[in-house]
Amino acid sequence: MKRIIFYFWLFASTTFLFLGANSAKAHQESFKAMGVVQPRNELPAPNFTLQNSNGNSVSLSDFKGKAVLLNFWATWCVPCKKELPSMQKLYEALKLDGVEVIAISIDRDKQKRIHQYINDYKLTFPVLLDPSQKVRKDYFILGLPTSYLIGADGKLKGFISGEREWDSTASKKLFSTLVQ
Amino acid sequence: MFLFRFIFCSILFILITATNAAAYIGLCCAHCGGNMPLNIMGGGIPETHEYRFKISEMYMSMDSLRDGTDEKNYSDYGPSTARDKYRGVPKSMDSYMTMLGGAYSFTDNFAGMIMGGYVRNTMEMTTTAGDYDMFSQGLTDTKLIGKYRLYHDDNLAPTKQLSAVAGVAVPTGRITIKNTNHPTGTMRGKLLPFGMQPGSGTWDPIFGLTYQKAADPFWMGANFMTTQRWWLNDQDYKKGSEYTLDLYVMRQFNEKALASFQLNGKAWGDYSDQPKAGKENGDCHAMLNSTKDWMTPLCDPTNYGGVNLHATMGVQFQPAPLHVAELNLSIPLYQNLKGPQMQSDFMLRLTYYLEVPTKKSRRYKGFSAPKQLGF
Repeated sequence: MKRIIFYFWLFASTTFLFLGANSAKAHQESFKAMGVVQPRNELPAPNFTLQNSNGNSVSLSDFKGKAVLLNFWATWCVPCKKELPSMQKLYEALKLDGVEVIAISIDRDKQKRIHQYINDYKLTFPVLLDPSQKVRKDYFILGLPTSYLIGADGKLKGFISGEREWDSTASKKLFSTLVQ
Repeated sequence: MFLFRFIFCSILFILITATNAAAYIGLCCAHCGGNMPLNIMGGGIPETHEYRFKISEMYMSMDSLRDGTDEKNYSDYGPSTARDKYRGVPKSMDSYMTMLGGAYSFTDNFAGMIMGGYVRNTMEMTTTAGDYDMFSQGLTDTKLIGKYRLYHDDNLAPTKQLSAVAGVAVPTGRITIKNTNHPTGTMRGKLLPFGMQPGSGTWDPIFGLTYQKAADPFWMGANFMTTQRWWLNDQDYKKGSEYTLDLYVMRQFNEKALASFQLNGKAWGDYSDQPKAGKENGDCHAMLNSTKDWMTPLCDPTNYGGVNLHATMGVQFQPAPLHVAELNLSIPLYQNLKGPQMQSDFMLRLTYYLEVPTKKSRRYKGFSAPKQLGF
């Protein structure tokens, strides 16, 4: 009996290790495919409170428990504009699975144009305004677009510099590993 | 011509070898607030670790003469053998210049640039021996310039920037081009007047200061530049120093296009003396005798210099990422010339501009993740 239990335990742990390794590998691959830089130490994402385009205050802490794509953009940034529709598609596809998209505009005084973008691209995810550049500086943004991946635990999981196709299969795979 | 070919081949070489690096451009970098009209010297700083190449074709039309602020007719000055008149008088001038430039940014704040050109001048002359076209062509002087950003209020999207420019104009342009078309045989093979020589013959220091302001969708700024002429050339004269002040405002009216308006002021000095060939052989003097009067007002070194102000309207267009084209038209608003000398009529310039990221460029590899946040 002991021998049977031993073999069962050995089989179960090997299977678990194999599946775990596969999952980690898939996780790594999806990060690599999207060009995500992973942190050496997972630090909490700096919290912030900003106004959205309707003038309501929104904090990052409001989204605790969800995987967040935090994107920094500006109306004068052409690559930023290109990726906005794909962010909307990603949001529509995965919001019920616990994925949130937050876009922070660093425009200094372009509320009207930001509103126009929200309407033109039919953006339903929160678009926040950072005219004083404070949050931009807290996140060390030196180029646009720049995005961070934040886990459900509120910790930074990835850094992405430049435009991406957020509605691609690789991206959806990435977020599905992030919400697990 | 060798230098022109050398610059052209070097640009071609860099373009071919850099092609592999032009892989990724979906990123706005550190010079978003630094847009300047391309015709202003030192305008258009590349992104860090990127090249920018510029080819520009300019046409300048000069029509009739001016003395001080008074417009003059060529017949006021000749052609005539009478005293106080000239045996040859210019009527108009067409000048075509092809300019090539390259720039590379070594850091966020420092860029090196090289600019050279090839000019073709045709001046319609009326002389006592008949009318003819005076012609010259050749390389202009080549400018090597470094631009250093002294101040900026923000690296990603600066609203204010101040930069200093220093460099040197290398005497690659000739100053000994001879007359080939004169209707009188004895005048052929003689030195052409100053204004027809494409070079200065001297190594000239260049200094400048640029202030740039951005307030989306506007860019505006002021660019001051001076080319100092401190030394004599092989012909024992020096060209006058030059001072330019460009004020510009640009407005982005479309994602891929913007319009610009400029005021371009220029002050420049006259020549210090006549060329050695004039003193020794009588080139540019009546009857080829150095004690006689000048053949044309163009030969008198004091008939150069002045102050002018041009207005320039331009449109800049980005047909594809990394490519920029610009068309500018300049017209004179004010001209006060030590004359008589040819006055400016209008100037048209078409510029094409190519950005070439290298493998070290952020647009190739992206920005580094911040260590402060655990990356």
